Amino acid sequence: MKLLPKDVWKFTVAVLASFAGLHSIQAQEVLVLDSLPATNTASLENLLQGQAAGLQVKSWTGTAGSQSIINLRGLHLNTTDESTMPLFMVNGVPIIANPSAVTGINPLTYYSAEQIERVEIIKDIDQLAALGVQAPNGAINLIIKEGTSGPLHVHAHAAAGVDYVAGFDAGKDAFYNYHSASREAVYAKQSLIQRQHISVDGGGDYGSYLFGMNNYMASGAIKDAGFQRQNLFVNAKYKIAEPFSIQFYTNLALADRDGRYAGQYNRDLSGTEVADEGFFMDDNKNVGLLSSMDLVYRFSPNFHLRSVAGLSYETAGRDLYIPSNILDGEVLAGSEAFKRQMLSVHTSLNYTHRFSELLNLKVTVGNQIVNSDYRITAVEGMKGLESGGSDYVKVVTGYNANQAKAYSDSEREKLLSFYGTLNWDYKQKFFLNMVARADGSSLYQNKWALYPALSLVYDLRGDTDLPARFKVGYGKTGQRSGPEQYRGELVGLGDYYGGNKLGITQLYAPFTDAKSVDIYQFDAKVDVDIQSYLRMELGYFNKRYRDFTYMRFLPNIQGLDYAFETGAALQLHGLEMNAQGQWIRRKAFSWASNLNVAAYRNSVTELPADLQQTSLTHLSALTTGDRISSLVAYEGSQSRIIGNGQPELFGGLTNDLRVGKVALGFTLTYSFGADAVLESYESAYVAEQLQAGFPMATGETAFYFKNDLGKESFRYQGIERIESVDFVRLGRVGVAYHFGDDLQKWKIRDAALTLTGENLWTFSSYSGLNPEENITCIRKADLGYTGTALPASIVLGMKLTF
Amino acid sequence: MNKIKPITWCALVALLPFIFSSCEDYLTIDEVENRTIATDYYDSPQKLEQAVVGVYVDMRRALLHNHAWLMYGEGRAGDLTLEVDMMDDVAAQRLTNGTLPLRQLTDWGYFYDAIQDANHLLEKLGPAKGGLLSSYQYNLYRGEALALKSMAYFYLTRIWGAVPSAEAADRGTLLTQQEVLTRCVQWAAEAKPLLPRLLLNDDGIVSTALTEVRFNKTAVSLLLAHEQLWLGKGQEAYDGLTAVFEGQGTDSLSNFGLSLGKDSDPDITQQPYNGNPIHITKEKLEAIYPVGDTRRSMFTIPATGTTASLIIAKQDLLMIYSTKEINLLMAEAAWRAGQLEAAKSYLTTAAAGATENYALLTAGATENYALLTAGTFADALLRERQRILMGSGQRFFDLIRFDKVGQFLPSYTEGDLAQGAAYWPLSAQSIQTNGLAQNEYWSN
Repeated sequence: MKLLPKDVWKFTVAVLASFAGLHSIQAQEVLVLDSLPATNTASLENLLQGQAAGLQVKSWTGTAGSQSIINLRGLHLNTTDESTMPLFMVNGVPIIANPSAVTGINPLTYYSAEQIERVEIIKDIDQLAALGVQAPNGAINLIIKEGTSGPLHVHAHAAAGVDYVAGFDAGKDAFYNYHSASREAVYAKQSLIQRQHISVDGGGDYGSYLFGMNNYMASGAIKDAGFQRQNLFVNAKYKIAEPFSIQFYTNLALADRDGRYAGQYNRDLSGTEVADEGFFMDDNKNVGLLSSMDLVYRFSPNFHLRSVAGLSYETAGRDLYIPSNILDGEVLAGSEAFKRQMLSVHTSLNYTHRFSELLNLKVTVGNQIVNSDYRITAVEGMKGLESGGSDYVKVVTGYNANQAKAYSDSEREKLLSFYGTLNWDYKQKFFLNMVARADGSSLYQNKWALYPALSLVYDLRGDTDLPARFKVGYGKTGQRSGPEQYRGELVGLGDYYGGNKLGITQLYAPFTDAKSVDIYQFDAKVDVDIQSYLRMELGYFNKRYRDFTYMRFLPNIQGLDYAFETGAALQLHGLEMNAQGQWIRRKAFSWASNLNVAAYRNSVTELPADLQQTSLTHLSALTTGDRISSLVAYEGSQSRIIGNGQPELFGGLTNDLRVGKVALGFTLTYSFGADAVLESYESAYVAEQLQAGFPMATGETAFYFKNDLGKESFRYQGIERIESVDFVRLGRVGVAYHFGDDLQKWKIRDAALTLTGENLWTFSSYSGLNPEENITCIRKADLGYTGTALPASIVLGMKLTF
Repeated sequence: MNKIKPITWCALVALLPFIFSSCEDYLTIDEVENRTIATDYYDSPQKLEQAVVGVYVDMRRALLHNHAWLMYGEGRAGDLTLEVDMMDDVAAQRLTNGTLPLRQLTDWGYFYDAIQDANHLLEKLGPAKGGLLSSYQYNLYRGEALALKSMAYFYLTRIWGAVPSAEAADRGTLLTQQEVLTRCVQWAAEAKPLLPRLLLNDDGIVSTALTEVRFNKTAVSLLLAHEQLWLGKGQEAYDGLTAVFEGQGTDSLSNFGLSLGKDSDPDITQQPYNGNPIHITKEKLEAIYPVGDTRRSMFTIPATGTTASLIIAKQDLLMIYSTKEINLLMAEAAWRAGQLEAAKSYLTTAAAGATENYALLTAGATENYALLTAGTFADALLRERQRILMGSGQRFFDLIRFDKVGQFLPSYTEGDLAQGAAYWPLSAQSIQTNGLAQNEYWSN
């Protein structure tokens, strides 16, 4: 990259990319990443925070190496992180992107920002239908940098800094109330962040190459916990012969996260304080590999065959040892291993036909195979130690469990797809896109589902003075419904005859009508260029979901507890606006802005009959038109809506300024309309019947949750407060000094000194430390699904290009 | 523009059938590791036997949870007590007071689980006939499934009276007790010729230990006779019992009980007798077993205190049909068939041999049953059933069959009993999920 391009426009783009880390083109559909880091975390999704209308990145925890919750127009009847997560791809190859349950390490940390050229945000139905059942919640495609033509280039980047929990208020910490004596002590005043990147690239007629390595280490805001990742990557493109080229990409990452008992995972300490965790071990290690091979054969300039094979693989292992001083005289040791692999082969024929000067047609037909295989094995044992002796004697006495629990499971899935697209182009003004994809899944007895879509674009720019483009689209996509329910499942009931015989029975009968959720999506948008300095895009979408799979509890004469069935319908619709301003474009001074706004509303449009006898009984308080994201609790004997768990207005504002050699950029993110329900630490009990009313403690609400413990037993949980979690956050800010030609005498082609800050300021009325800390929007009394405090960070870096 | 040669298109089109032809096969995953799925699981005799054992385990759950076997029987009749919270409520006939154990006892789910298991097994056994299973295995498994289903329905109708059918043909239809019993008799009668007197173990050797924990010919004959007696078919019961037991040596007879063992549900106890002795008040003991009755040795009677405790001879078994009951049922069948002398003879034999197994007759009752008349036989038989079968859970059912509930539980009036007071209330779950109405007595 040239440091000071003569062209002002390119110059401004460079500034934008340098300091916000992102710049949008094509109306925010594609985000371009520059080589400077925009986030001080290792998680790529944080780069996208506040940058695209409709893309939510919820920073629920400050634990290094964790994944923020990512949602791109995602909705589900039983909303979980996975059920609403978009499809992630690298150069079009689907990857395993959600954290494994074993280590929780985020697979999006396996890549550094410096490796990514740009990010494609895919939301429109004409593109999603072509991805079929893989992408019900949109898709995010990371396009990897390639080597640039010319002699060898070396890029180096090193940065170091600190993160800290700014103004830590122990009273606000969700964990603090639980373990008051120990909580504050587990937060470090400051901890070190460091990262290094080096890459080498070049290219010529033969193709191009790029390879390098990254290192990232963060001690974490919690003492004695930390995260590190190293990765090696290579991206090589080779022209075998004129019509035939091949591209290899490989990224191998090692990630390691250490945990700490108090303050990070444990919400159930028996004592109020753990004085010494010296013998505690929570070692999480992942190995992530992505390898792909992309073959292109050009039969003619208008006709080519492309085949991409990819392997996304991850092993995640966790070793846990809890010494006796923590577990009150017992030791626990466990080891878990989770291996996931996703093999994909995508082959397509692409043909362009020019009927006349006015009419063009681009045809693509292809097929895709995606095979995934997940396997988990876990062993855990606990042993009570004899009384007497110090805790440390007990610790070093070691682990010799006499009661071990072992678990093993595997899940395989095959997806086979055929698709075709027709893209008509008339006079470069009218565009008609026709898509059809057939997906066959091994999850169902009825294998096949068809996903068609149609979109029409009218560009007025050529014909009228109105610099606008309209697009409408409608189509269908789908979402897979869980495990292989159609096969039915048997379970072991118990031993018989001296423990020699096992008794089994059916857990549930085969559900032969199992199918994917159907999603019908309508898109309409217009983008307008206002003068030369402002580009605005306004869009509306409406997604209607039908036929979720849920359980229906059977009459107690059936002998089976439940059967599956499909039903229920939801709607998610909203407005999205993106404004891209280039207010000032002068060599000495430039200013650009991006504002994106998403206003969403989800609702229930149909619920199954006799809801109380289904696994959706928790939705009983909802009627048609209510939000599916409603937070529901009891008041007296009545179930009521007491809040909303999803924001209804959210987005980001980015500004970039440049004065001479100094550049400044910042991103504000905001979210409005969501609530958090804070469970009481005091009002909770297990009782057969609710005999005492809520609140049980002074100053609490009259609401309570009722958790089914099975066999007609319930746990009643009081609610302390219901709060708004609206916030505005200064997500990222960066200052840079570009040296320009000053270092040419040392053969340094480009150099910049950067200072980046993250999470420096949050404005919110929420009483906790982080308004996004509750995954489920419920701060549970046991603090499950609640994150640790979000640290602020400041990192100083130097970037050099030779 | 470069045109594609027609032959290229033809080649591409020709490829398509090959691509599509094997799609369905490709998308079917035959091997699902580490998971017991319903499809194609039953591919060996051992796996089918697991399904057989599953029925026993669910029956065990039905009778062990919350000490159900005792609560439905001697607990409710007031003969025996346990140190559990619900005991006072059960003995005082407060069966709807809303506590969790009582609510669970009013639910019939486990019995229907066993019925579903049995029907599932019968469905899976069909294709296995003549191929996967030997004729011995097929007959045994089918006989067990039918007998267990019969037994489950028999318990259901004795506890709740009219109960719904869980059969595919009329699932959910409420059956009268007469209809339930008629079906029970049909299934038990079908099972009877299929079941051997003694079972073979995995090595093909006769095993008395295995026979004792699985349905055998002795047990199914007793079950069938018991059900026929409930239906008032004394002659049929007498004929059936005579055919099976007349002239048989003790070697061919076997007790039948449910083997105790580890259950995947931690709430189901493995050791129902440990740590919670089954008590009887000394006052009641004296009334039931007068001094001189050798069956007093069934109890540990401390010198002090007001209670004695029942001795459980086999701690690893929940006894369902003991060989002790053969003569009791023979006596009842003969009596109901109008053969009083034979009945008295069987009763005398039963009373004499009650403390030991069928082979070792010793003096038992102090009464002389040779003096019984048609008018006094029923009371004597009921009393001997109470004495001999104490702890088996049958007492309250006997009171119903002998129409003596009002006599032994005077808190129930004739009107109460006419409204169904002798049967247990339906659980809220049973009412709600099956569209049923509460038993008239308990709805008040």
